[in-house]
Amino acid sequence: MTEFEPKIVAFVCNWCTYAGADLTGTSRIKYAQNVKIIRFPCTGRIDFMLLLKAFGEGADGIIVSGCHPNDCHYTSGNFHARRRWIMFRGLLDLLGIDIRRIQYSWVSAAEGAKWADIVNSTVKTIRELGPYTDYAKVAGYLEKEVKE
Amino acid sequence: MNELIQKATILLESNSVQVVIGYGKGSANRTRAIFITQAADCEKLIFDSRCIQNLAVYLTKQEIKKLGKPAIVAPIPVLRSIVQLAAENQIAENDLVVLGVTPESELVEFESFAAIETFLSTHRIEIEGKYQKTIEMIKSMPVSERFAYWVKELEPCFKCYACRSACPLCYCTRCTVENNQPQWISVASHPLGNLEWHVMRAMHLAGRCTDCEACYNACPMGIPIHLLTKSMLQDVAENFGTYGPSLDKLNALSSFKPDDKESFIR
Amino acid sequence: MSKIGVFICHCGENISSTVDVVRVAEETGKLEGVEFSTDYKYMCSDPGQTIIKQTIKEKGLTGVVVAACSPRMHEPTFRKACQEAGLNPYMCEMSNLREHCSWVHDKSEATTQKAIDLVRTLVEKVKLNKPLYPIKVPVTKTALVLGGGIAGIQASLDIANAGHKVILVEKDPSIGGHMSQLSETFPTLDCSQCILTPRMVEVAQHPNITLWTYAELEKLEGFIGNFKATIRKKAKSIDENICNGCGHCTTKCPTKKIPSEFNTGLGTRTAIYVPFPQAVPNKPVIDKDNCTYYQKGKCKICEKLCPTGAIRFDQQDELVELEVGAVVIATGFNVMQPSGFPEYGYGKYKDVITGLQFERLASASGPTLGEIRRPSDGKIPEKIVFVACAGSRDPAKGIPYCSKICCMYTAKHAMLYQHKVHGGKSYIFYMDIRAAGKNYEEFVRRAIVDDEVNYIRGRVSKVYEENGKLIVKGVDTLLNAKPVEIEADMVVLASAAVANPGAEELAQKMHVSYDSYNFFSEAHPKLKPVETNTAGIFLAGACQAPKDIPETVSQASGAASKVIILFSQNELSREPVVAVVNRSAPPVYSTCVGCFMCASACPYQAIGEELITDRKGNVIKRVAKVNPGLCQGCGTCVAFCRSKSIDIDGYSNEQMYSEVMALLNND
Repeated sequence: MTEFEPKIVAFVCNWCTYAGADLTGTSRIKYAQNVKIIRFPCTGRIDFMLLLKAFGEGADGIIVSGCHPNDCHYTSGNFHARRRWIMFRGLLDLLGIDIRRIQYSWVSAAEGAKWADIVNSTVKTIRELGPYTDYAKVAGYLEKEVKE
Repeated sequence: MNELIQKATILLESNSVQVVIGYGKGSANRTRAIFITQAADCEKLIFDSRCIQNLAVYLTKQEIKKLGKPAIVAPIPVLRSIVQLAAENQIAENDLVVLGVTPESELVEFESFAAIETFLSTHRIEIEGKYQKTIEMIKSMPVSERFAYWVKELEPCFKCYACRSACPLCYCTRCTVENNQPQWISVASHPLGNLEWHVMRAMHLAGRCTDCEACYNACPMGIPIHLLTKSMLQDVAENFGTYGPSLDKLNALSSFKPDDKESFIR
Repeated sequence: MSKIGVFICHCGENISSTVDVVRVAEETGKLEGVEFSTDYKYMCSDPGQTIIKQTIKEKGLTGVVVAACSPRMHEPTFRKACQEAGLNPYMCEMSNLREHCSWVHDKSEATTQKAIDLVRTLVEKVKLNKPLYPIKVPVTKTALVLGGGIAGIQASLDIANAGHKVILVEKDPSIGGHMSQLSETFPTLDCSQCILTPRMVEVAQHPNITLWTYAELEKLEGFIGNFKATIRKKAKSIDENICNGCGHCTTKCPTKKIPSEFNTGLGTRTAIYVPFPQAVPNKPVIDKDNCTYYQKGKCKICEKLCPTGAIRFDQQDELVELEVGAVVIATGFNVMQPSGFPEYGYGKYKDVITGLQFERLASASGPTLGEIRRPSDGKIPEKIVFVACAGSRDPAKGIPYCSKICCMYTAKHAMLYQHKVHGGKSYIFYMDIRAAGKNYEEFVRRAIVDDEVNYIRGRVSKVYEENGKLIVKGVDTLLNAKPVEIEADMVVLASAAVANPGAEELAQKMHVSYDSYNFFSEAHPKLKPVETNTAGIFLAGACQAPKDIPETVSQASGAASKVIILFSQNELSREPVVAVVNRSAPPVYSTCVGCFMCASACPYQAIGEELITDRKGNVIKRVAKVNPGLCQGCGTCVAFCRSKSIDIDGYSNEQMYSEVMALLNND
């Protein structure tokens, strides 16, 4: 049996974390291949439904990352995002959707090393948690029905 | 409530309003919403403990709007919804007459939305102990078990959207669930779609829900979806301190504090 | 039908050494809608760009994905190439295979697979891209400068000299600001008034500058190039066009004991007054709060005496609306009122004064005509103690920052004292000496060596009066924390530079951000030091952070040049990545239900309302409307909208959704 390779999507803002991840590259700091980035203008743009869709499409883990408080390129997008995350986390937790699988972080354009660390530690956490079979089972229900 | 009937009659006779939205006799021992346009029909109005439907839901419905200016029989949950709808620019002060009903079944009139808000400040939303316990019980389950619990609870949902129709705050012309570009939520009522629908519904009510339980009362399958919004009300209180409807347009999610909690963010 | 071209760059060996670029091109070439895929050594090179341009033309591509370095590096390059080949530049996306893949992973199958996933994701996105066109907005070539201190004066003159109209608004009766209060300036000891006054006169006489003193900003609306400002011109109670500035009124006014703001309370003024002799404009105003006529209904002596009949007791505040294209905020700073330090006895002992008050004592135009005399009894102090960092760098006082100017002006004060009071003794208690600046360190050295100022490294714990002397208790930390006690005749507190009391309110009026100390925030601490995060509003001087005169002047010129650059264009072109509220066929018209939650979340107040009307003009629906001139494209509103009625070009719901789907579906 091959080792479990988690699928992790990273939702990041263009101005801080995306640039921070660029710096990780420029600094040639290595990290795991499991995490793939989708670029948003701002964390304020990140729709909670997209996180849910990612789990529905088979993601084992999610990283959401943007500018530190007070550093938002758009002044307050990250503050709005943070409130949304607080509420979303609470709801997911009540529903038994595993919030350990969503890593929120602030990574600035200067924190290339922190980005690598966030990626690697998230990959480690998700490896330990294993594939998100609970959600996959629920998500796969329709396909099975159609196939049958 | 003779007083209510009298007041409604006067309003219709003087043509101050063209329709009275109130409670009337329903089938079996139930009550239902009635829409009275003739003064003579006002005696059909009743008010007692069975009147739990949130009539505020009709204030934004086109069919009712067409009848003219309404007066609405408004016990506490309706009053809360009115304040929230006003905060969201869905109703204007001069567009309706509010016939408030206190928990002691006394008729109370309001000169303004602000007066309703003041009145509500002494009738705050409280999550009943039994619900607090249930929410606590659910939260204490291991995550996998909790998930299974909800998948099972939501299984009977066949997406009739009665919860949405009954909710005074679900007034969108086109719900996201009907948006197929992209298809955010699959139409079929399979577990994933059910889960996504209820997550979205609850999130859309975050910071707005007034805890009237209309969604739960409307659900033909008796799914305890009100636990989701109740739990979120608790979360709002715990994290942001604000609670309940306010004319202040900024609700828990459309505002922020630079020092909001972020222990979960690395 | 999409015809996408995929162009994989080797970046020399930067990408190709760990990613199998040939396979990435091969695999992504099989994707639905991909018309063409290839790999090349350097896509950004001229031949690389030629491949892209030729393929666009030959294959009739509808979209392009360049898989190379970070879009933050070369997105403009490739978008321009597409445009040159006749494809809308916004139909080009970049997949980041270098910074986000080849440089962070070792060579392996997984690395190549990730590269394929990343490219596939962008292919799916670009299929949903729409041609976008730069947003054009006109520019009103008039600048509004708020604040008539040296920052506002410099900015106004620079903009006006470039040929543009300036409206300079000052809240006090005269321009000049804090610089006009200063005695001599470090590190050259030239007289502040002497270098400032010509500038003030130049402002007043400049044909391109309209000067409004005794006026304040009431409201600011609009956006870059197109602001609408409302200015409150406070009633001066005189007709400026008639007044000839003879000054009879000010000499004869019976109310004479009002503490003079200009002299920091060390001198007095009348109720009808010109703040200082060199004031510009040199015409008086009536201070209504202290005027006998306004308070008691009787007097009018000034009116009787005025030879030109210029007094106007019935004058009202006037609100004027202006259209301006840019705003420079130059509202300056304040000094912390040291009532915050009971331990130093300010307010309790007359001879404990602030640095700004010392400036007035040392100034030839000041209340003592430049002689250093104690406010209490007019005696010349034989021993004087200066306390640096009075409030600054003291988290306990709420001011953890360094006020930056105090080290230098305290050295200057001690030096001036030594020059004026021969045989006098001066002491400076300091934490560190921060004298970074051209000729600054040399200046401080001169104070220590030539003028024999005693620098004591340590803080003052207490000042109290005993037998007519001020006992200063402190500590010398360079002498093993030895307690020091000085019997002084006068104590000068280098009190912290703080934001103006109205700064927060002003920032909110203008929608510019400010820090926790109410200093206005620059758009970027390094690369955009004079811009605010609101396009078209710039910062000059100490309203942004404490700074000295040379720094203020350079920042003011910087801000002015930003305004001039803006005004060099007739139209502005803006990135078309903006939010849009949807429209649909009747009877819905738009799925927006007008809850305006988006408007409250928008950091730029870019969302207003629109009334959808029928042909007869009846209002059918009230919906949100995004002003594309104000929208900066953050998309916070989009994630906020429950009915998905607002979307953002370039990062639309469909695009982001398809990216998530494409990224995860690699089986």
